[in-house]
Amino acid sequence: MTGEILRILLLVMQLGFLAVLYLLLFGFARSLLRDLRSAEMTQEASQSGIGRLAVVESPNDEPAAGHSIALGPINSIGRNVNSTVYVEDDFVSGSHAMLTFRGRSWYIEDLGSTNGTYVNGHRVERPVALSFGDELMIGRVRMRLER
Amino acid sequence: MIVTNIRRLGFYLLLAFAVSAGSLAWWQIWEAPGLADRQDNPQVIAARRSAPRGSIFDVQGQLLASSTVIDGISRRTYLDPAFSHVVGYASLRYGATGVERTWDDLLTGRSDPNPLNDLLNDVLDRRAAPRDVTLTIDRRLQDFAAAQLGGLPGAVVAIDPRTGAILAMASSPTFDATAFSGDPETAAAPWAVVAGSPGDPLLDRNRRGHYTPGSILKVLTAAAALDAGVITPQTTYPDQPQQETDGFVVSGFTIREHDLGSLQPALWPLSRALQVSSNIFFAHVGLDVGADRFIDYARRFGFCAPLTLGSASRALAADASYVSARADGGCAPFSDRVELASAAFGQASVDVTPLQMVLLAAAVANDGIVPDPFVVRDLRAHAADPVAGPSEAVVETYGGGSGRRAISSAAAGQLRAAMVDAVHGLIGQVYAGAGSVARYGIDGVLTAGKTGTAERGPEVAPHSWFIGFAPGQNGAQPSIAVAVIVEGGGAGSGAAAPIGGAVMAEWLRLLAGG
Amino acid sequence: MRAVRRPVELQMLLPLALLVPLGFAVTHIAETGTLDPGPMGLAIGFVAVMFGGHLALRLAGNRGDQLLLPAAAAIGAVGFVMLNRLPQSQLGMDLFGVEMGMATTQLLWFAVGITAMVAVAVLFRDDGILRHYKYTWALGGGLLLLLTFLFGREVNGARLWLYLGPIGFQPGEAIKIVLVVFIAGYLAEKRALLAGATTRVGPIRIPPLPYLLPMLAIFVMVMLVVVISRDLGTALLFLGIFLTMLFVATGRRSYVLMGILLFVGGAFVAYQLFGHVRVRVDNWIDPFVDPSGTGYQTVQALYAFGRGGLFGEGLGQGLPSISGRLPIPALPTDFIFAGIAEELGLLGATALLGLALVLVFRGLRTAMLARDDFSSMLAVGLTVSLGLQTLIIVAGNLKLVPLTGITFPFVSYGGSSLLASFVIVGLLLAVSHRTALDAVAEGRGP
Repeated sequence: MTGEILRILLLVMQLGFLAVLYLLLFGFARSLLRDLRSAEMTQEASQSGIGRLAVVESPNDEPAAGHSIALGPINSIGRNVNSTVYVEDDFVSGSHAMLTFRGRSWYIEDLGSTNGTYVNGHRVERPVALSFGDELMIGRVRMRLER
Repeated sequence: MIVTNIRRLGFYLLLAFAVSAGSLAWWQIWEAPGLADRQDNPQVIAARRSAPRGSIFDVQGQLLASSTVIDGISRRTYLDPAFSHVVGYASLRYGATGVERTWDDLLTGRSDPNPLNDLLNDVLDRRAAPRDVTLTIDRRLQDFAAAQLGGLPGAVVAIDPRTGAILAMASSPTFDATAFSGDPETAAAPWAVVAGSPGDPLLDRNRRGHYTPGSILKVLTAAAALDAGVITPQTTYPDQPQQETDGFVVSGFTIREHDLGSLQPALWPLSRALQVSSNIFFAHVGLDVGADRFIDYARRFGFCAPLTLGSASRALAADASYVSARADGGCAPFSDRVELASAAFGQASVDVTPLQMVLLAAAVANDGIVPDPFVVRDLRAHAADPVAGPSEAVVETYGGGSGRRAISSAAAGQLRAAMVDAVHGLIGQVYAGAGSVARYGIDGVLTAGKTGTAERGPEVAPHSWFIGFAPGQNGAQPSIAVAVIVEGGGAGSGAAAPIGGAVMAEWLRLLAGG
Repeated sequence: MRAVRRPVELQMLLPLALLVPLGFAVTHIAETGTLDPGPMGLAIGFVAVMFGGHLALRLAGNRGDQLLLPAAAAIGAVGFVMLNRLPQSQLGMDLFGVEMGMATTQLLWFAVGITAMVAVAVLFRDDGILRHYKYTWALGGGLLLLLTFLFGREVNGARLWLYLGPIGFQPGEAIKIVLVVFIAGYLAEKRALLAGATTRVGPIRIPPLPYLLPMLAIFVMVMLVVVISRDLGTALLFLGIFLTMLFVATGRRSYVLMGILLFVGGAFVAYQLFGHVRVRVDNWIDPFVDPSGTGYQTVQALYAFGRGGLFGEGLGQGLPSISGRLPIPALPTDFIFAGIAEELGLLGATALLGLALVLVFRGLRTAMLARDDFSSMLAVGLTVSLGLQTLIIVAGNLKLVPLTGITFPFVSYGGSSLLASFVIVGLLLAVSHRTALDAVAEGRGP
C-alpha cells in the first residue's frame, strides 16, 4: 500500500512540475502582453515622427549635444535661421543640405555647401540614401539619424 | 520598413512554432497508438520480456499456449503445432504474429479492455492484469483437419456460416514456435531451422496464401447472375453444343472446355453446367453479367479489399482477394472481354485466399448473407493454473456481427440447390462426390459443394480446391462451411474434395455428440 | 555605471527556485522508489548561477530587456532537470583529473555562459566595436572556419570539433555569431540600396551588382566551407539566418525564394556527393525501412514521442532502457527534445516550445525598439539564430525535416552551444540597454 501512496505522491509532484512550468509560461505571456500594450502607446506618442536626428557632437552647442530633433518629411539644414534644422557653426553654409524622406528611405542631398556634407565619413556628391544609425557631418556638427 | 518586416518575421516564426507543436501533437496523440503496437518498440519488447503473459485456450477450454517466467524472462510454451498460424508466436527476438500479436497488449497487460482502467493505470504507472484469450476454434476439428492435410502443402478453413465463428483453420506445413519463443539468446538456431524449411511453414496459407481458384469461383459468377436476374436456373445458351467441340471465341480468343470424357454436349442449365463445371457456360454468364457488375458482386462477397477476423476495434488481418488485376484500393477494371470471360470460370488474374473462398461458401449457406468472421471468442481473467482450464470471468466477448447481405435469399436458395446437385447429381458425383459427408458415415444429410482445379500452366500440377457446406438440403440450417486447397494436388475431385467432406462429417459428428 | 533594479527579471526568475529542485526530487523519487528527494547540490547551483547573473546585471547597471535572461534560464532549467535524470556516466568531462558527470559539467558551462553573458552585455554597450570592424570580425570568422577545416576532428561524418589541449569546442557556434555581426553591419550600410531595385533581369528585379556581389561572395564562401566540413545542420542554420536578415533589411520575399531554390539545388548536390547526407535524407523519407540500422535513432525518437502522449510518462519514468542502454544514444544532445516530450508529454513539450517562443519574441522586440538599423539587424540576426536552431532540431526530431546534428539552444548537453547561446543573450541585452539609455536621454523612458 505504501507503494500506491508513493505513486500518487509522485504523480502529484509530476503534475506540480508541469503546473510550475505553465505558471512560468503564463507569467511570460502576461509580461509580453503588457509590454505590447505599452509599446503601442509609446509608438502612438512618437508616431508623428518618421525619424529624428540625435546630436552627437556640437562645438557651439546649437543644437545642443545629446538632444534629438524630430524630423518632418522635408528638412532643410543650414545656418539660415529659417532652416528646419538650424545649425550655428562657422563651417556651415546658409542652405547647407536637404534631408528628405521619400517612400521607404531617408535621403540627404548637399545643396552646394562650401565645406560639404559627410555621411559616415564619406563626402556626399549626389543624393544618397541613408539608414537609421548613419552619421551626418554638417560643418563640425555630428548628428545621427535615428528612428 | 524594418519594423514592419520584423513584425512579419515574428508572424512567420510563430507559424513555424505552431507547425512544430502541431506535428508534436500528431505523433504524441494521433500516431501514438500505432507506434505503441509496433514490434520493435522498446515498450513492447520490455512488456513481452518480463511480464507474465496470458494463456490461449480453444473453444472447449483446451490449453493451447501458456507462459512461465524463469530467471526474469517470460518463456512461452505452445502445445499444438496445428495452431501455430492462428495463435502465432510471441518471440522476444522475432516479434509476434497471429493472435499473439493482435491481442499482445491485452495478453501482456500493456493495456486494459476498459478504457477508464487504462487511463488510471497509465496515470498511476501500473500495468493492467494479463488476460487470457479463448478462440472460436475447436481443437478436435483443428487437429482432424491438420491430420487430413497430412503435411501436404495446403490449407483447410471451416466456419459456422450462421455466426461467422471460425471452427478450424489449419495451414500446412506447420512449425513448432516454442523453441524460439523463450530465451532470446538461444532462439536463433531453432528460428533458422524453421525459416529455412521447404514449403514456407511460417506462411499462414488461409490468410496470406494467394492462389488461382479455378472452378470454385463459378459459384461467385452464378451468385451474381442469379441475383442480378441475368439467368434463371433454367437458362441455357443455345449455341452451346457446337461450341463444345469448336470452342467459344471471345474477341478472337478461344475458350475450350476441359476434358469432359464421354459426355455428350447438350443444352445445359445451371445445375448441369455446375455439375460438369462447364467453362463455356460460365464464360457466357460472366459476359452477360458485365464487367462492372461482376466486380461489384465480388466486392459484396468481400473480394477486392483486405479481410479481417474480428471486430472493428481488434481483428486478425488477412490479405485481399482479387477477381481482376490489383489496383490501388482494390480490383482494377477488366482490361477486355477475354479477361472477364476467363475470370468467370476462375482463371486469368483471379487471385484468392482460402479464407475468402470459405466466406463465399458460407454466404450461400447463410441465405445470401456474408457472415462477419471472427476467431477469438472472448477475453477472460488470467487463470492462475491454465492446465486446469480457463477462468469463468469473461471480460469481453467478440463476434456477434450480423454480416452483410451479398445476394437475395431466393438467389442463394437456387444456388444452394445447384451446389447440392454438383455433389449428388448424376454427373456431379463423378467430380465432387468425394466431398459428400455421406461418404464419411453421416447419413441423411445432403452436402453442397464445388470442386476446382486451378491450372498453373503446362508441366505443373494444378492446385486442388473444394468449397462446400452441410447440411445442404432444403430447409436445413447449414452448420459448417469449408474451403480446402491442396497445392499441386491435381484435380479438385482428387485431393481437396475428400478432405472437405471428411472435415464436415467430423464436425457434424462432434455436434451430434459422437 | 550606476546599479539599477531589475524587478521583473527577479520576479520571473523566482519560480525556477521551485521548478529545478522539484524536478530533481521527482526524478530521484521515481528512480529509487523511496521518499527521498536526493542530492540537491546541482539544483541549488543552477538556481544560484541564474540569480548570480541577475545580480551582476543589476550591478553593471544594465537597463536591457528583463525577460531575456528568465526565458533563457527557464528553457535551460527544463533541459538541466532532464540531463540530471539521465545516466551521468554517458557524457561528461575530465577536467584536470577531476571526473565530472554530465549534469555537473553542464552546470559548469551554465556558469561560464552566464559570466560570458554579463561580460558581453557590459563590453558591447557601445556598438562601435562591432559595427565599425565588421570586416575584421568576418576575417576572424573565416580564419576560424579554415582552422576547423584543417585541424578539425570528425564526429558523425562532419568536421565539427577544434581542440585546444583537453578542451574541445565547436567553432561553428562562434562563427555563427560573427556571421550575424558581419551581415548586420553590411546590410545596415547598404540597406537602402539593396531595397531600392534598379536592375532588371527578365521578370525579377535585383539590386545593382556591385552591392550584391560582396554579400554573395561572403555567403558562397561560408557555404562552401560548410559544405566541405560536411555539416548539414550548420549549413541550413547559416542559410536561414542570412535569408531572414536579407528579408528584414529589404522586405523582399523574392530574395528568400531565390535563396531557398539555391539551397534545394545545393542539398541535391550534397545528397549525390556525400554518403552521410544521403543516409540522413533517406531516413527522413522513411526511417522504418531500416528501423534497427540507419533509421534506428529516428524511429526510437518517434516511439519516445508516442509513449509520451498528452501528459507524458511522468518525469523520471520514461525511457525503458534496452538491456541497460538508452534507446536513443544521442539523447542528451540531438534528441533531448524527444526525451522531454516522452516524460513531460505534449503539455510539457509545448510549454518548452512556448518558452522558446517567448525568447524569440523578446529578441524581436529588442530589434524593433532599437534606434538604428545596425542594432536592429544585429538583434534580428541573433534572435533568429536561436529561434531557427530550435526549430531545425525540433523539426528534425519530429521528422518534419531531415535530422541534422545541431543542438537545442540552452537545453542540449554541450559547452560550446551553451556558451554561444548566452553570448547571444548578452549581445541582445547590450542592444536593448542602448535603446533604453537613449529613451532615458530623451526623457521618454524611466
